[in-house]
Amino acid sequence: MQLPDRFSDIGVLRTKLQSIPAHEKQHGTPPATGGNWDWMTGSRDVTVEATVNGTPHTAEVPARTLLVHFLRDRLRLTGTHVGCDTTQCGACTVAMDGVAVKSCTVLAAQASGHEITTIEGLSGRGEGDGGGSGDDLHPIQRAFQQEHGLQCGYCTPGMVMAIRQLLADNPDPTEAEVRHGLNGNICRCTGYQNIVAAALAAAAHLREA
Amino acid sequence: MFPADFGYSRARDLDEALDLLAAAQAGDEEAKLLAGGQSLLPMMKLRLATPQALIDIAGLTELTGVAVGDGTTIGALTTYRTLARDPLVTGRLPAMSDALAVLADPQVRARGTIGGAVAHGDPASDLPAVLLALDAQVRITARSGSRVTPLDDFLRGVFATDLAEDEIVTAITLPPGAAIGSAYEKFEQPASHLPLAGVCAAVTVENEVITSAKVAVTGVAGRPFRARHSERALVFAPAAHDSLTVAAASVAEGVRPLSDQHASGPFRLHLAEVLTRRALTRALARARRPL
Repeated sequence: MQLPDRFSDIGVLRTKLQSIPAHEKQHGTPPATGGNWDWMTGSRDVTVEATVNGTPHTAEVPARTLLVHFLRDRLRLTGTHVGCDTTQCGACTVAMDGVAVKSCTVLAAQASGHEITTIEGLSGRGEGDGGGSGDDLHPIQRAFQQEHGLQCGYCTPGMVMAIRQLLADNPDPTEAEVRHGLNGNICRCTGYQNIVAAALAAAAHLREA
Repeated sequence: MFPADFGYSRARDLDEALDLLAAAQAGDEEAKLLAGGQSLLPMMKLRLATPQALIDIAGLTELTGVAVGDGTTIGALTTYRTLARDPLVTGRLPAMSDALAVLADPQVRARGTIGGAVAHGDPASDLPAVLLALDAQVRITARSGSRVTPLDDFLRGVFATDLAEDEIVTAITLPPGAAIGSAYEKFEQPASHLPLAGVCAAVTVENEVITSAKVAVTGVAGRPFRARHSERALVFAPAAHDSLTVAAASVAEGVRPLSDQHASGPFRLHLAEVLTRRALTRALARARRPL
């Protein structure tokens, strides 16, 4: 008998996936229902009380709501992206109590009582360089602009949030440390070269500041 | 992608968590404890797990932290990130530091917990190899009382452990002594960062003779396992490259390897041998010249 192995029993996985209603398999924003999540029929609700980018929010949501959907669909903070939806790509990275996490793998319910910072919370709210003006950008965002650290930009919010954590832990990283520290974030355009350059430039800028 | 519907409740302390488990059982609901959720939530999104009740225990601060007394006690809810930064780990358990640096990614390490890694029973999880090689014991609590069981007995098979429905893993304990001469090596699947093979070795050396050796392997079989053949080949062998090579050759003796789209069985066995040699080489160097 061959041992069953981790996720390789494709037959089982396919059967499981076929049992998921089509509208629940969709990535990203669910059908716009005016903030009404009726389409998630039969779900049990929980109350989420979380501070997001300094603003307290209270909402009743189905218990199975992921933090990333709470941010995007309830709070309309669409800067946080859904990429792979399987904890690999890092596009959904936000800070929870100041530590970078993947918001597709945190329930909104788990975030209740905690402080969340999204990409929208970096500029214009004290961490930016323009004092809240129109061009106000966080030094890491500025470095992405100057070093051409993005092409399509889809991974960028997650990259910026991951680099913010990386530099908080290690203000003077080597190139190798930056590359290893970003192994939870995937970019399909740049080949990472300019993302790494942006991280190193931001590190130098923040050390001088 | 959303998980199937479930009821969510948050426990404020261990007592309440046990109550919630009992209530779920009384209501004939399948309950799952939610700690970091970094393995459970992905499985729930794929409907590979469909618990009806999730009991969030992440806030149980009494189950966090590292303490050193007669051995080392690590609270089950201590995150990988916390462990990786704790001087009681970095200074004393080099193999664990090795594993924590290459385990998943920084965001996952911020949420995932050591108790979750053990209780989940994933055959391709990094830390269980380190814990097996360091002779870890699992502390478990239920309404009916507490018990301690060796991790080697606790791990049963693919996502199967010796944890009853009314029990909670509260801590992992390591015996005092020889962990300095230890190292962890892995070869990862590049997207998931899970080990296609991972090997932890822990050795002690006196006068250039290996006096004790422990080798544990993960990712290769249905559960992480101790490589007893290799261990026997090492004890009282000269602390030399040839001894390590000979021991590594028997690392998967009698083991039926996993085989999937990521790596064939023979490739996993080859990786296990190479990684055993590398882990033993680094462990030996550390045993000779402690950090």
